[in-house]
Amino acid sequence: MIEVLSSPFMQKAFLAGLLVSLLTGIISTFIVLRKMSFVGAGISHAAFGGVAIGFFTGADPLIAAIIYSVIIALGIEATGRRGGISEDVSIGIFYSVSMALGIALVSLSKTYNVDLFGYLFGNILAITDADIVLTMAVSVPVTALMLIFLKEYFLITYDEELAKVSGIRVRAMNILFLVALAVSIVISIRIVGIILVAALLVIPGATARLFAKGLLSMIFFSCAAGAFSVIAGLFVSYRYDVAPGACIVLTAATIFFVPLSLKKWA
Amino acid sequence: MSSALEVEGLTVAVKGKKVLRDINFTLEEGIFLGIVGPNGGGKTTLIRTILGLLKPASGSVRVFGQRPGSTLAQSGILGYLPQHQNIDPNFPATALDIVLMGRYRAAGFLKWPGKKDREKALQCLTIMGAEELRNRQYSQMSGGQQQRVSIARALAADPRMLVLDEPSTGIDVVGQEDFYHLLKGLQKKMNLTILMVSHDIGSVTSYVDEISCLNISLHYHGNPLGALDEKVMTSLYGKSVDLLVHSDVCDKCERLRQH
Repeated sequence: MIEVLSSPFMQKAFLAGLLVSLLTGIISTFIVLRKMSFVGAGISHAAFGGVAIGFFTGADPLIAAIIYSVIIALGIEATGRRGGISEDVSIGIFYSVSMALGIALVSLSKTYNVDLFGYLFGNILAITDADIVLTMAVSVPVTALMLIFLKEYFLITYDEELAKVSGIRVRAMNILFLVALAVSIVISIRIVGIILVAALLVIPGATARLFAKGLLSMIFFSCAAGAFSVIAGLFVSYRYDVAPGACIVLTAATIFFVPLSLKKWA
Repeated sequence: MSSALEVEGLTVAVKGKKVLRDINFTLEEGIFLGIVGPNGGGKTTLIRTILGLLKPASGSVRVFGQRPGSTLAQSGILGYLPQHQNIDPNFPATALDIVLMGRYRAAGFLKWPGKKDREKALQCLTIMGAEELRNRQYSQMSGGQQQRVSIARALAADPRMLVLDEPSTGIDVVGQEDFYHLLKGLQKKMNLTILMVSHDIGSVTSYVDEISCLNISLHYHGNPLGALDEKVMTSLYGKSVDLLVHSDVCDKCERLRQH
């Protein structure tokens, strides 16, 4: 145990994991209540296109992925609002095209190696000091913004039209939310991997929903479930040398399904 | 008395299709108005335009002398009850949490509702006869109780005009009568102007002061008893009043008899 905590790369993983789980905990609450899990899954898969652009151009893959995912998120919002195509369909198109672009660029670039595997499934060993700085620089202000506008997001989640009548600029808030969502996905990639990152956006919120009596408590439970899954998952990953993303998601799923089944029997 | 609402030559188009055409009426402050008409007749479009959620293609709307866009930016003017089915019945909140949402704007940017806001919220729950529900989960209340809590939420913002979209959906007939009665009481006690959309012309006429019969254009506006005129009904529903109540069944009976 102590040995785990004393290794510098695990310390980095835990720090990044905690920052990520707090932000995704808040986001997850709204994803679950607003039934946006497909948006989360779509943007997280689209992020692969951004990572590949980074590989191909030699830019930092995470920074490229942040910029790319934010553009995709805004694209989904714009097509959804213009009508004609449903948001569901536009997500389906954006994410498959992004993945295709990613695969094409990865095939063309010469760096096709374990690095890519790390982005897909998570790799604690790959977390650099620069990644930690990036995670902090991005997650702290975005988490703060979400907390600043918590009241507004509560009202929008309850009813969008009512929020508008209450003077809230709903469209601006929705765009901010999508940007926060895209950012939280990308900073989670190092730890959980592109394939599984969407789970962190859905399972903690769903677990919290089982216990929460109000929105604030739902956010608290969601962050707690996320943080516990990340920490416990990282321990298991280190101990048994299994990809961290898989361990984190399986832990998260366990703390969702166990109380759910107990609730059913009770 | 000043005018609460002035609608002049209002035409609204949704996706290029005219949903409302040349609507004109005025409403004095403190009046309870029922807006009735068939589905697709533009009832919800009218209130959405009054609230400032939709822009008119032509004509104008003034709410207490102001443009709808500017009323959105101010507190203490509008209280709104959206259609009930739009709200997640399992929303994780207690009744008090919901009513406090009505105080968010008054609490201000970056601030959570404080002690005064709580008192106001409890007071509104009491007005609605729902104070014992305050710690109850929203998901565990009946449709009628949820509706009382929602109105308490709207009242918590101290509005001058209350706008309700089909508020009686999900409430049984006995509950509906109580509900309209309650609204009537609020109107008198707080000098509220109330706009209520309903598809149920039969039951609202005995509670409202004025009625607007809407089917793309305004076919009648005035005393509710005047709306029960055959000509008005035909323009709204295309059939006589008798057929309105049991229209589907009678149509089938009629056809069966002919065969």
